[in-house]
Amino acid sequence: MSQDKNASNLPASWLWGAVALGALGVLGSYAAAGPERFWANWVFWFVLLFTLGLGSLFIVALEHLVNAKWSVPIRRIPERLATLLIPSIPVGLIALGAIPVLYPGARPEAAHHPLLAGKAFWLSLPFFSARTIVALALCLLGLWVLVGGSLKQDATKDPAFNFRARKFAPAFMAIFALVVTLVAFDWISGLTPEWYSDIFGVYVFAGAFLSGLAATALAVLHLQDQGRLEGVRGDHLYNLGGFLFAFTVFWSYIGFAQYMLMWYANLPDEVIWYKVRLQGAWHLITLVLAGLHFVLPFFALVTRDSKKDPRRLRRVAYLMLGAHVLDIYWLIFPILGASPRFSWPELSFALFFLGGILLWVRGAMQKGEDMPVGDPFLREGLEFRL
Amino acid sequence: MPETSYAVLGVFETPDALMKAIPQVRAAKLGAVEAYTPYAIHGIEEALGLRKSPLGGMVLVMGILGAITAFGFQYWISAVDYPIITGGKGAGSWEAFIPIMFEVTVLFATFTAGLGMLFLLNKLPFFGHPVLSSKSIKGITRDRYVLALEAESEAFDSTAAARALQAAGAIEVEALPAPDRSPFLTSDYVLRTLGGIFTACVVAGMAMYFATKWFPVLAPMKYMQEQPRLNAQKASSFFKDGHGMQLPVAGTVARGYLPTATGTQEEAASLVNPLPRTPEVFALGKKVYTNRCEVCHGAVGNGVGSLTAAYGAKPANLQAQQFLDYPDGKIYWAIVNGKNAMPSHAPYLSERERWAVVDYVRALQRAQNAKDEDLKVATR
Repeated sequence: MSQDKNASNLPASWLWGAVALGALGVLGSYAAAGPERFWANWVFWFVLLFTLGLGSLFIVALEHLVNAKWSVPIRRIPERLATLLIPSIPVGLIALGAIPVLYPGARPEAAHHPLLAGKAFWLSLPFFSARTIVALALCLLGLWVLVGGSLKQDATKDPAFNFRARKFAPAFMAIFALVVTLVAFDWISGLTPEWYSDIFGVYVFAGAFLSGLAATALAVLHLQDQGRLEGVRGDHLYNLGGFLFAFTVFWSYIGFAQYMLMWYANLPDEVIWYKVRLQGAWHLITLVLAGLHFVLPFFALVTRDSKKDPRRLRRVAYLMLGAHVLDIYWLIFPILGASPRFSWPELSFALFFLGGILLWVRGAMQKGEDMPVGDPFLREGLEFRL
Repeated sequence: MPETSYAVLGVFETPDALMKAIPQVRAAKLGAVEAYTPYAIHGIEEALGLRKSPLGGMVLVMGILGAITAFGFQYWISAVDYPIITGGKGAGSWEAFIPIMFEVTVLFATFTAGLGMLFLLNKLPFFGHPVLSSKSIKGITRDRYVLALEAESEAFDSTAAARALQAAGAIEVEALPAPDRSPFLTSDYVLRTLGGIFTACVVAGMAMYFATKWFPVLAPMKYMQEQPRLNAQKASSFFKDGHGMQLPVAGTVARGYLPTATGTQEEAASLVNPLPRTPEVFALGKKVYTNRCEVCHGAVGNGVGSLTAAYGAKPANLQAQQFLDYPDGKIYWAIVNGKNAMPSHAPYLSERERWAVVDYVRALQRAQNAKDEDLKVATR
């Protein structure tokens, strides 16, 4: 890819600078702000990176599962975003260091805690780490079969890949459900092991899928600005926008259903999780989250034309990514205290990881073909009309 | 006078020919242009210049109206008209309203979409479209693509329309005469429809009447009726004594309602009031005293209540020196066990309420024998 196509981007040197500056802050925060805050930030970014990569891989798998044709021309975008699962492996392995610090179930006291004693083995450091490693390995398997196979098809033009992917996709859906549930339960609700919610994995899945969709829409629009992805039209954008619209509603439905059942039953070990989030500054954040993650995108995307409008879609995609970040922040950071923490350690982590993610995604977007040119359904996908 | 036409149809062989013809025919401005095809053709809406359907806006407005309606109803019922606190949730808790609001939003929105589409936009009841009785209809449902120039006014010229269609490439044209009766709603159709609905109601009603008359024992679902259970106030073979309701085990005490904590009143003198002297305790004591004690002991505790005159009883004057000297425990004992003509109040008052009354009696006594420093406290 030639350099002029990146004219509208931030220069790569800026991103490297951000990563370097962020890395200094990240290291400094461990010494100055204490290990708890450092690890909370690290887990926060691990979850963000992982949900973004896994949500993108889900889009790819969904296309193969239902044999969709419309999304073939843009499939390379979520495929490239799904490669974020590769850096999420070292980040996740480092995050294992957070387990003894942040996760009460992995501490020796848990064996004597009346509510945790029975789960002590499940929450213990070795089993927790083993589950995470298995989850990451399963993601890598999905990435290798679905994305690796698709990249190879560019050269071979062998339609056998489509049949293989179509067979693998249903199995991957089961793997996906397992992985998303494990990561949601272990890494997020494991922070408060007395609290539990059956639907929590689905809630995190909704957020992950939304973040993948938003990133895909954003990347598609960005590449179109550079004159790439020729042939992708409003009809394709409409489907992306429709998915975004549907899953903001789905996210709100799951989130509210979880809240309402706990609010109604009013059991102490369940409501405590919400009580923390409905007091003081966290209450405000809860309301802002509902506004940014549901009300605003709902009304922004409710009309038919707005889903096709690139400018509107781009704004909503940025909004959804921001709302997903806020959602994960809202899930993780209340363990640090009643007042939300946000100052230089959080900014350093943001610089480090955002810079890194942008560099990775940009690198991925420059490699190979922008469309799966070997896929026999590419033509049919390009001819897609609503 | 030219013959009145409903429309002129031009038949095309391929969708491409139809699409190419549309701009030419529209440019002739002879009437409204409408297309009839065996399947949807991409881009034909734009080519025909169809305006955007207003249905989406209608659905949005009605959906929001549904949400507001459901919220309003529930709020009015549970917070304004008949406020009840259930499960510790305050009256008008919005969380509980959301599922109903969601349902009603969907109800309003779907009914608007369905009925609005059928009756407002598709103009039902609409019996028999004139195109259905054309010669071209067989082709339209098979492999022909038809463009219709529909008459919009009396001035519609069917020969000019036919020529325009042929010029645009139609292989065949057909003039559709105006139907001899309106295909739209007429009083005749209204009568027939209403008659049909009425007949259906009568038949269904009669069927239900005779079905339940001839087969009265057919109960569709009896699972809940027939479950094994004990009914209040009903006999049951489950227990030996044949009663469904059983007496509580001997010595059962309701939580917080100890029947007596004391032996003699002298022994009770050493009991200490466990309640803190807070405004809430005095408020509770006042409420209980007003409900249970005031009729005999009087509002200030001087033994002149509203019942004393009627029955000639002489309740204790709690302001007498004897009772001013009583320790708290002896008053408590009297409330629990009763004294002289006064019955025990233990079954009606919880532990907390009894001690709150003791506190309140102390307050009444002090109020009637106030010292200077009490005034200072009161006016500070």
